[in-house]
Amino acid sequence: MRAYLAFIKKEGLELIRTYKLLLMFLIFFAFGVMSPLMAKLMPDLMSQLALEGIEISLPEPSAIDCYAQFFKNLTQMGLLVIVLMFSGMLTQELGKGTLVHLVTKGLPKSTILLAKYTVASLSWTACLLLAFSVTYGYTVYLFSGDEIFHLFYSVSVLWLFGLFLLAVSSFFQTIVKSQATQLILVAFCIGGLFLLKLFPKMEEYNPLTLVTDNVAMLDKAYDLTSLTIPIFMTIGLTIVLLLGSLLAFFKKQL
Amino acid sequence: MNQLADYLPFLIPLVVAQLGLAIFSVIHVLKHPQYRFGNKALWVVVVLVFQFIGPAVYFLFGRGDQE
Repeated sequence: MRAYLAFIKKEGLELIRTYKLLLMFLIFFAFGVMSPLMAKLMPDLMSQLALEGIEISLPEPSAIDCYAQFFKNLTQMGLLVIVLMFSGMLTQELGKGTLVHLVTKGLPKSTILLAKYTVASLSWTACLLLAFSVTYGYTVYLFSGDEIFHLFYSVSVLWLFGLFLLAVSSFFQTIVKSQATQLILVAFCIGGLFLLKLFPKMEEYNPLTLVTDNVAMLDKAYDLTSLTIPIFMTIGLTIVLLLGSLLAFFKKQL
Repeated sequence: MNQLADYLPFLIPLVVAQLGLAIFSVIHVLKHPQYRFGNKALWVVVVLVFQFIGPAVYFLFGRGDQE
């Protein structure tokens, strides 16, 4: 346990000193500000675009537009940023050989991997919370009257999917050597999930539902029980992937 | 002008974050002249032109390993 905490501290320090943490916070802060801004700007932009004779009438922006922008930003760019940031958490150290000393001194490999995953998850949690609280603040300030349902639920499943994605990333990092190959494999995985979504029978099991239905979830009529299976699928897959990456990491030569 | 004032609560934090990051990255580029690829001029341009993405690419892939 002490080794685990010490390694978490080391990873945290690394994030701070390589300015990755600062960068992530600024980017997610920008997402948080931009989402309500885009929602507010959209009708103006569209009216600029309106050609003669074509009337584009848009309803007044509301709180739901803010969150629609928020989920659009976070499920695409946000997840991309997080996966990119932590795409080198293992591959870089393996490439440099800096882990060899620690392992020969008796630090368990499982501790290394789990501590790295923990730090990545904690960063994702902090970034998501930051972006969400900024958007939430602006939305309450702008559209205080609008009613929104299941908001925290919707953000939580997005958070869960982020954890799953980080597990996918760490799994591939223990298998392949290069950072680029690993990123391509993660992209293939997501592509695969999108393909599976085409089959209606698979859809109710697909973890991807957690990041494609976020805006729909905000509706009062949305049936939250339909998400139970994807949530358990995601948690299960995350655990399986982490166990798999532990196994692969045990066998891997440093 | 009235419209601009509407957007100021958004624009000020956004501009502060963007400019802060851009300036910080330019200083880092100039002070650490070893890069994994590219040269000083390239990175200054990248960091200044592409908001948020430029600094992200620089700190993730462009900067050298030496402190």
